Amino acid sequence: MEDAKRQGFKAALRETKNLPTLPGIVVKLTRMADDPDSTTEQMGRVLSKDHILAAKLLMLVNSAFYGFPQRISSLSSAMILLGFNVVKSLIISASIFEMMEKQDVELWEHSLGCAVVCNVVAKRIGVEEPEEVSTAGLIHDIGKVAIKMELPQEYAKITRLMQERKITMRQAELEVLGLDHAEAGAWLTKIWNLPPRLIEPIGCHHDPLQAKAEQLSSAIIHFSDILIRGMGYGHAGDDKVPKLDKQAWELLGLSQEDIDQVIDEVEEKLWEVKGFSLEIQAEAEAPDSAAKS
Amino acid sequence: MQQILCSQAREGMVLAKDIMTPEGRVLCGKGTPLTTSLLSRLEKMDMVYVTVEGHPIEVPGEKTLQQELQETEERFSNVTKIAPLMYIKKRILQKLVDSRR
Repeated sequence: MEDAKRQGFKAALRETKNLPTLPGIVVKLTRMADDPDSTTEQMGRVLSKDHILAAKLLMLVNSAFYGFPQRISSLSSAMILLGFNVVKSLIISASIFEMMEKQDVELWEHSLGCAVVCNVVAKRIGVEEPEEVSTAGLIHDIGKVAIKMELPQEYAKITRLMQERKITMRQAELEVLGLDHAEAGAWLTKIWNLPPRLIEPIGCHHDPLQAKAEQLSSAIIHFSDILIRGMGYGHAGDDKVPKLDKQAWELLGLSQEDIDQVIDEVEEKLWEVKGFSLEIQAEAEAPDSAAKS
Repeated sequence: MQQILCSQAREGMVLAKDIMTPEGRVLCGKGTPLTTSLLSRLEKMDMVYVTVEGHPIEVPGEKTLQQELQETEERFSNVTKIAPLMYIKKRILQKLVDSRR
């Protein structure tokens, strides 16, 4: 694949003509976050002006994959508990999610499931901020949506190639575009100014040891993606469980007992998430949200 | 376990998940067998869904256990040489069988 062609695709993806622009509210909140004089209460108030976004956020925050024992009722406590970066990522994820759900419900389900596994695994390993990992898990496949929306002809070629030659989506992407959805996802999240701790794992979720600073997070997402596919939850584009990177697996250091418990816990949480995704769907279909979009 | 409508629930089925009051307290614990009186109480509370052990209700169009097992095997067909994944597959298959019991 000539470099010029690859650059061309890269440029098209970067233009994000068809993807939603970053919500203005994120720009505003970012500015406030950088201002030492603004408080989380103030930010909470700005956020709550967008009712639908606020509701979605609180649902995301309270849903199984964040796993806080008490329900979080205010956005300012959400910000305190999760940190601004996670909340910022959530805001973006909520818009991405809405788009993902409209474009591809099964991918959306897969992403939700992946986030759940990330949360369980991250907590099991004892990662300091498991919520960051699960947020990355939530949007790790955003590159697929970008390719579908920005490069529809190539996307059609990719799906055809997958069916004809029985190869994975990633292999087809590399052949048609010279890049894959992990790379695409990393650029997008960079353009949207998400924190580097999210960008790197998204970019490296198929090749975790490529990561420079976030090898563990990347390994967690890599494994979670594999596990949720193994469990048949949602649909990520092709039907096969991808290969588990040996070094990533060693980095995680999970025992058989760990696996047993992770699978049990994930199954439990997926039941809870089921209710949550129905709620979000119902809200998306409600009249006032239709007016918003 | 299976999530079914309360209207489909029958005496003898066993709760697989706690039933909570709207205030968040446990009304009936997991493992409680359903009785006619409990069922009419749930109906009066306008409870819509209940999760029971096993898979008592046949849902048209739902995959059979056989299909689920086969699809799982196929999903893992490219990674047969990777030991941790084979172990995971084994566990997933086991859970599928257990959930229908």
